[in-house]
Amino acid sequence: MTAQRLVLVFALAGLFGLFAARSPLIARILAVGASGAMALVAAWAMVQVTEPVTINWLAAGFDLGRVSVPLDLGTSPTTAAIAFAVALVAAAVQAYSTWYLRDDDRYPIFAATVSTFTAAMLLVVHSRDLILTLVGWEVMGWCSYLLIGHWTRKESARRAAHKAFLVTRIADIGFVLGVVGLTVGAGTTNLDGVIAHWITPLDCDPGASCAGPDPVLRNVLLVLLVIGVLGKSAQLPFQDWLPDAMEGPTPASALIHAATMVAAGTVVLASLFPILAQADVARWVLALSVTFTMLGAAILAFGQSDLKRLLAWSTVSQVAIMLSALAALPPTVGPDAGLFHLWSHAIFKSLLFLSIGLLGVIAGGTSAVLLRGSGLRSRLGRWGFLIGLVALAGVPFTVGGLSKEHVIAEVYAAATDGGPALVVLIGLLLTVVATAAYSTRAWLVISELIDVDDPVEAVAELAEESRRRRAESLVPHHRSTANIVLVTLGVLTLVGGLILFTDVFDLHGLSWLWTGITVLLVIVGAGLAFALGRDGDPGVRLVGRRAALFDNGFGAGAAYHFLVARPVVRVARVVAFLDTNVIDGYVRGAAVAARLGGAGAERAHERERTRTAPWLVVLGLVVVFAIGALAWR
Amino acid sequence: MALILLLLVPLLTGLVLVAAGRAWSDRTVLGVGLGAASLSLVLAVVTAVQRPVVDRAWLPELGVRSHFSVDGISIPLVLLTAIIGLLVVIHAFEEVPTGGTTGGFVGCLLLVVGGALATFAARDVIMFFLAFELVLVPMWALITRYGDPHRPVGRVEAGWRFVLYTAFGSALMLVGILLLVASTGTSDMGELLEAGAALPGGRQLTIALLLVVGLAVKVPVFPLHTWLPSAHTIAPTAGSVLLAAVLLKMGTYGLVRLPLGMVPEGFAAVAPWLAIAGVTGIIWGGLVCLVERDLKRLIAYSSVAHMGFVVLSIASGTEAGVQAALYGNLAHGVISALLFVIVGGLKRRWGVVDLGQPLPSLREIAPARGFFLILGLAAALGLPGLAGFWGEFFAILAAWSPADPATTTIFRTCAVVAAIGGALAAAYCLRVARVLWAGDSHVEWAPNVGPGPMEPTPSAHSTEEVGTSRVESADRAASGGPVGTSSALSTTTQEVETVGIERAVHVVLAVGIFALGLLPWLVINLMQPAVRTLIGGQP
Repeated sequence: MTAQRLVLVFALAGLFGLFAARSPLIARILAVGASGAMALVAAWAMVQVTEPVTINWLAAGFDLGRVSVPLDLGTSPTTAAIAFAVALVAAAVQAYSTWYLRDDDRYPIFAATVSTFTAAMLLVVHSRDLILTLVGWEVMGWCSYLLIGHWTRKESARRAAHKAFLVTRIADIGFVLGVVGLTVGAGTTNLDGVIAHWITPLDCDPGASCAGPDPVLRNVLLVLLVIGVLGKSAQLPFQDWLPDAMEGPTPASALIHAATMVAAGTVVLASLFPILAQADVARWVLALSVTFTMLGAAILAFGQSDLKRLLAWSTVSQVAIMLSALAALPPTVGPDAGLFHLWSHAIFKSLLFLSIGLLGVIAGGTSAVLLRGSGLRSRLGRWGFLIGLVALAGVPFTVGGLSKEHVIAEVYAAATDGGPALVVLIGLLLTVVATAAYSTRAWLVISELIDVDDPVEAVAELAEESRRRRAESLVPHHRSTANIVLVTLGVLTLVGGLILFTDVFDLHGLSWLWTGITVLLVIVGAGLAFALGRDGDPGVRLVGRRAALFDNGFGAGAAYHFLVARPVVRVARVVAFLDTNVIDGYVRGAAVAARLGGAGAERAHERERTRTAPWLVVLGLVVVFAIGALAWR
Repeated sequence: MALILLLLVPLLTGLVLVAAGRAWSDRTVLGVGLGAASLSLVLAVVTAVQRPVVDRAWLPELGVRSHFSVDGISIPLVLLTAIIGLLVVIHAFEEVPTGGTTGGFVGCLLLVVGGALATFAARDVIMFFLAFELVLVPMWALITRYGDPHRPVGRVEAGWRFVLYTAFGSALMLVGILLLVASTGTSDMGELLEAGAALPGGRQLTIALLLVVGLAVKVPVFPLHTWLPSAHTIAPTAGSVLLAAVLLKMGTYGLVRLPLGMVPEGFAAVAPWLAIAGVTGIIWGGLVCLVERDLKRLIAYSSVAHMGFVVLSIASGTEAGVQAALYGNLAHGVISALLFVIVGGLKRRWGVVDLGQPLPSLREIAPARGFFLILGLAAALGLPGLAGFWGEFFAILAAWSPADPATTTIFRTCAVVAAIGGALAAAYCLRVARVLWAGDSHVEWAPNVGPGPMEPTPSAHSTEEVGTSRVESADRAASGGPVGTSSALSTTTQEVETVGIERAVHVVLAVGIFALGLLPWLVINLMQPAVRTLIGGQP
């Protein structure tokens, strides 16, 4: 019941929000009211749901040829928990936006898009049908396009939105084909049916002739699906769209990063986990991509000159950690460690984004230079950011720490059985160090524990100017909603780990050994940042002149341009040329030939003499008789 | 009775208006046209519900009967045609192109609609062919007489090309139909389903080849598509809408009814080639759309791409394929109609919509038109929840397991190519959105407050807007735009925004896009029994 209610209410809020485009007040009431109420409903559902239920809603199923499309939804304790995180973040973002976009002339459209976005994510979370998953998946991509490009008056926002949609849509070629292959093979789009068709029963001897699916095809399809997930989750080689997506308003970034879009891949792969766990090639592809991504993104985060982009790269890295659990864990263990990390990441990452939104408003921008010391000007911003960073770094007993340690412990347990787990484990441990380092760096920057030694005086002056203006116009007023949001998320980040006392996530206990190791690694990472940051921003210290390289993600965007966009446009030019000059050439040629033929015949007619005519008639008769004689038989 | 009236009302009214419309005032002509179109829609609904059958002897010597009825395959198309017919007549209140009388214009619209309705309702192949051809002449008049007033030579050329090219296709189809009728001795579609399938393989192949090539011109299938862009670019808005939403559908409908249904063996032999031509069209059309500058031509090429999906589904030869094809047909009808209405409105105001020139941002100066544009583009790129998704996704799904297992490899390759074509659609739709909706001709719309390179900070834009109307800000931005303000750039909200009748047409089409996107099972369950009958023995 809750599943439909959550999806439908958010979808309707999105739809009606469009009609409220002229009235910010109605849009505000609709958006905050719907998302707040649904967050409560989702919380209640999390308490209530104790076993998996499949719901055939609206009796909307149909058959497409031999494929039955029941369009089922379903709930389980795990999906209920994730749905709660999604609804909570959505409510937080909606409430926060009423302050953050208070003067924006397109606020109503923004709020409606956020509602639709949330509905799509909730559809993916609750979907027990691959087509519904695909529907939610693509709608999220489109909503992210609209949100990232919300400020279409900015050239950079237009470009970022364009890039985000195209990169993810290209990766979705794989996703669509994977879905098609899986459903056609199974003859149904129902998830249980698909899983039942594509897994080899675990208790089946390898030598015995038990009916299993074609492992090659299974691997191919899962690899295709994984490609789609890598695109949406901004993993190698599709990683570059996400940092650019920071062009969107900060609440939109919070939504995209914390609970929807990039996290959706984890949800989808978790729902197909039994098949994924048996498709070794797909697991390896996923494992290699996420291992390199998690470490590379963490290193890139350290060198960013803009703290919002630092958070973006941290998302890339953290999502890689979720996915790494799915890649490494064996079928017997299940995907819940990854899902728990998704859950906790949703809470602390939304806290981080919404805090930095507040600090950015105070400072007049989010570059490290501008944000320096901004934490001293807002207690709430400072504490919110700090708590978020502590969870991000993986300090034990915060949500982020607990979930990351679970992933590490379970991957370690799996590493003894071979498979990609060992590679993943090494990546995870190195990433813990790097994560602690860049989290510390971010904290050092905003708390001004480091000496002020501005490298760029002009920027600082400009900043002062805008800072004053912002501080006067916005900060003192109307912040109560934003404050409530930050406090709620901060408290949840600290105590959210209590969820482990319920049996929502199927986890296998925490090993004290690995907690201890993680703490050591975190200390090493933080110490590194402190050591580098004794006289200035550790990021600047480490990266120095290579800052531009870090800021543009080692030129991945340019690589997309040269390797994909430019060749395609060139081919398109050739095709357009061929179309007008070759294919249509035949058509025009036919017309010209007909006209020439007509003219020639006319001229021949003029010249012909009268006495040839009877002979032509005779010739014609002969031909006719000949045909008649031949056809007689 | 409803069915006879459904065909007679638009045809007779159309004839009367063409012949006598000159004597009446524009208001009367439009009123009569509106009445006839509305009545047709009512009759179409009644027909869809009652499903009457009309079966009378017509040319007994040739065994041709005037046999009409509707089934699950034709009902959606009949309704689509009736709705689009009403919309184009309503649109005539907003805009009657120069070049001829109002009576002639509305009359031609009604004749096209009537001919299309007869095509979809015909149950006799000879009758089908006659109705199919009936549409040609009024469409030719719409293009040649009422087309783009700025290009007199182009009008004549596009009109000739349309008529000659499609008549060439029809000639091949006629030979195919006559061969079919001569070989089986019947021209009734119901009897032909069995009689055609019983023909020897070689004969089936000949018939299938003639029918497929003939109908492929109308669809149009690559490489027989070059009449479409010129016809679309020149035709008046209403003509483009009818062309895209109704005429192209007659081609795909014919492919489903005639070769696929009646000569299955022959069609199966042609099918892989048809599939390859279809996906080539998807990629080809998509690539041209990436560089085409004239927006109306671009939408025409995108039609080639979308019909490629439909053709691929038909070629798969399965029940799922036919369902996908018919769904894709409907979706493309509504989506391209919306896009052509939007672009036609812009073209009327600006003369030409050239994506290479500086253009104003519709989102800024005309939010409602901008909304419809972005909705149409989203639907065209196959966004789920809107009409375009189902047809194209189901096309890939159908192509994954074709009717003939021997061709699985070819069809799966085609499915992969089609999926790539889907991404290409996203690329060209976003290209249009970026230029025309978001306004990429301008470097910046409003100066950004604050130096933050990443964070524009809240209300950075709106501070500029407070107290000024949108028009003023757009004007300001336009005057500060890149070198030289073209006529398009200097248009104001009042000139570009959709109002009144035009807005109503947009709204109806947008509702259609949402309805087809959100409630696919209604149409699919409606079609299913008829599709099963058509596919016959195949599961």
